[in-house]
Amino acid sequence: MAPTVSTNPLRDPRDRRLPRLPDASALVVFGATGDLARKKLIPAVYDLANRGLLPPGFVLLGFARRDWSDDDFAQFARESAEKGARTPFREEVWDRLASSVRFVQGAFDDDAAFDRLVSTLEELESSHGIAGNAAFYLSVPPSAFPVVLKQMQRTNLAAKGASGWRRVVIEKPFGHDIASARELNALVDDVFTPSGVYRIDHYLGKETVQNLFALRFANTLFEPIWNSQFVDSVQITMAEDVGIGTRAGFYDETGAARDVLQNHLLQLLALTAMEEPVSFSAETIRTEKIKVLRAVSLPDDLDRYAVRGQYEQGWLAGERVAGYLDEKDIPADSHTETYAAVRFGIETRRWAGVPFYLRTGKRLPRRVTEIAIVFKKAPHLPFDQTDTAELGNNQLVIRVQPDEGVTLKFGSKVPGSAMEVRDVAMDFLFGEAFTEALPEAYERLILDVLLGDATLFPNNAEVEESWRIIDPLEEHWASTTPHRYRAGSWGPAAADDMLGADGRRWRRP
Amino acid sequence: MTTLWDTTGSEVVKALAAERRAAGALAFGLALTLVAVVDEKNVSEAEGAATLAASAHPCRLLIVVRRQIDAPHPRLDAEVSIGGRLGPGEAVVMRMSGRLALHAESVVLPLLAPDAPVVTWWHDEPPTRIAYDPLGVFADRRVTDVTAAADPLAALHQRATDFVPGDTDLAWTRLTPWRTLLAAAFDQLGDRPDTVVVQAGPANPSAQLFAGWLRNRLGVPVTVEESGRRPDITGVVVHLGGEQLAITRTDARSATISRSGFPDRVLPLAARGLGDLLAEELRRIDDDDVFAEALGTWSDLPDLGTRPPHREHVWHDPMNISTTVAGGPVSVPAGAPSAAADSGAPPVTLPGAPDAGSAGPSGAAPGLGSATGLGATRPTGATREHEADGR
Repeated sequence: MAPTVSTNPLRDPRDRRLPRLPDASALVVFGATGDLARKKLIPAVYDLANRGLLPPGFVLLGFARRDWSDDDFAQFARESAEKGARTPFREEVWDRLASSVRFVQGAFDDDAAFDRLVSTLEELESSHGIAGNAAFYLSVPPSAFPVVLKQMQRTNLAAKGASGWRRVVIEKPFGHDIASARELNALVDDVFTPSGVYRIDHYLGKETVQNLFALRFANTLFEPIWNSQFVDSVQITMAEDVGIGTRAGFYDETGAARDVLQNHLLQLLALTAMEEPVSFSAETIRTEKIKVLRAVSLPDDLDRYAVRGQYEQGWLAGERVAGYLDEKDIPADSHTETYAAVRFGIETRRWAGVPFYLRTGKRLPRRVTEIAIVFKKAPHLPFDQTDTAELGNNQLVIRVQPDEGVTLKFGSKVPGSAMEVRDVAMDFLFGEAFTEALPEAYERLILDVLLGDATLFPNNAEVEESWRIIDPLEEHWASTTPHRYRAGSWGPAAADDMLGADGRRWRRP
Repeated sequence: MTTLWDTTGSEVVKALAAERRAAGALAFGLALTLVAVVDEKNVSEAEGAATLAASAHPCRLLIVVRRQIDAPHPRLDAEVSIGGRLGPGEAVVMRMSGRLALHAESVVLPLLAPDAPVVTWWHDEPPTRIAYDPLGVFADRRVTDVTAAADPLAALHQRATDFVPGDTDLAWTRLTPWRTLLAAAFDQLGDRPDTVVVQAGPANPSAQLFAGWLRNRLGVPVTVEESGRRPDITGVVVHLGGEQLAITRTDARSATISRSGFPDRVLPLAARGLGDLLAEELRRIDDDDVFAEALGTWSDLPDLGTRPPHREHVWHDPMNISTTVAGGPVSVPAGAPSAAADSGAPPVTLPGAPDAGSAGPSGAAPGLGSATGLGATRPTGATREHEADGR
């Protein structure tokens, strides 16, 4: 984690019983009455308070259009916390938190509302001692970004005060191509300093993803074989069983590649393929991630190795579900993909010749995210061919969700008088070997924002580099129609053919 | 669940293996073994706490109940369960009576999870010296609770005298929420304070450790003031120039932070149950240097943290020898005739323990010779005679 220079004589890095608490500060949520705030942000804030990880002077400040008082918002927040929190709801914890909940009513283009926000923050300096520290969470549609940021610039909200910090948190999408991403980055960086911008990719807040660092760099076992000499291929899958829900308008403009591939999957790829950082800090990790992303190459034959699909009606989990084109508010001639599978290469010495197969889709049989490292077969097998007929490739699978953990698949002798080798799986479940219930990704990420630890947040160079990878795909796909696949299947046949052409097949997650 | 009456250690090992097979998916990620040492009268409380801690830290839970050391025949009763009333993991409750109670390790050692750390926790009064209890000698971490002692402060001093890295005490664990709040309050302070006052009831070992920690970290005078009859810590006041920063417990679940020139803040400060305390101890398996420093500063015994972490078992028979409590040796009259108690084992002379000869004159305490029939069960020379001075 980022080293925090502390002069507090009671703090000692060896004293790991004491949690790191952020400075007294305000978390300002724009769009505080929206879905994200209700389902994720407010419950995460409550969970942090319940775990005693919020500082004495913490304030939750909501900003939204509804004509609410502080109490109305506190009531809304209470209901959200009761419903969404991971830890048990306790009245006394809520009471402490409720006394630090504020609400400012206003629209984003309303100058007076932002002036009220400024004066509220000034009041909090004396009443809560927040000393100018504030994190602004933009839980608003991207189209509202410019307005909000301009307002913050006008009222000098983003400027660092004499003391204290100002940070801004933004959610994906970070643009829809490299040009729009650059525009957005320029806009945000113009108002805040680049180091004050936190881009949330909630996958990076998951324990298993962080465990990837531990797995790779804290063990001797895996790193020596983490290269093209031993690795045959890598498959990264993020499958969802749900459809597009109520996001029709947004989704039809975006599609699976921009929605998931560009951010989550490429981040997972970067963490899987990166070199060892010289230290475990935000800057050094970003350096290594950027190096990998720059080395990512697209296949020449995009027709074969970049497959996209769109689900048709079908059966999923015992229910009939509609096809994409029949979903509400989706044009009947939409060419938007709900499935994307691409073969990438990484042009480095470590990964030369190792294909990275990335796929994501909606209406697939189950919700699962995993990284599978598929190893080469043993160069020589001193057995009869029939003995090892059922032996596959060794695999190391990092299960990101659900059942967070690691699986190692290897061959083992079937008990009996004959020599017969078959694949077995050795399972490590996070929940069983450790300890505390796993914190929600948002809990961890909000805490990191307040602590100023940027390790788990992609920076704008990474975002732009990801678009450099995705843009040619989108260009290629623009003139094609997606393959069809039945809802409840593992994607279009073309995706299977893509691996089949390489003599491989998708792992069933 | 398997219940075994009047059984042997090997039967317990077999029963555990059978339960594991019956449980099906055998992918238990055993991170550690927790050995809980408890008196019969406190078993249910200790079981509850250990179950809670085990559900947070999946571990193999071994509960050892020693009773009736003077019973004429050694006897072992055991209950083996997986995913039963003692939480989701593997649990074995063992009741040992007679002379077997003094050799609990002979049953426990084969039950430890392979190559996983061992934490031993004494629910009741801590042993005078951990080296007296073989269940503490093989543990990587040892957790005591001096508040269970008749004289907690004397017991805390004894813990300091006997300390080696890897020891911790729940009196220290109870302090964590207080330390967290105070450290958070210090984040906003610029300078070192002039003096600190900890307010607590009489003879509260946590308050003493609090003072020891603050003295060690701040290098300023820290006093403990009695604040009423209740034993708990009720507050801490930091004087800094003309300013004052105070954290005061307001009720069972919260505290108020007040500082000159700032508005009061109320923060959660929940009193935690035994299970939560134990779970915090299991979170870290390495040595707690900060505890060593706090304990060392309080007891005026320097460099506790640099003592060699290794202990050798010291043979100690609670029935027939003098024992030591902090403050000086106290003679305990020999209980039931131990020769009779050992009737199961023929008297054997002392094995050639390398340091047997170095034991003081008390090594020849009456009855000890006959008790060393038990020494013969130990394969190495790790058993030493009891030294009457307790150090």
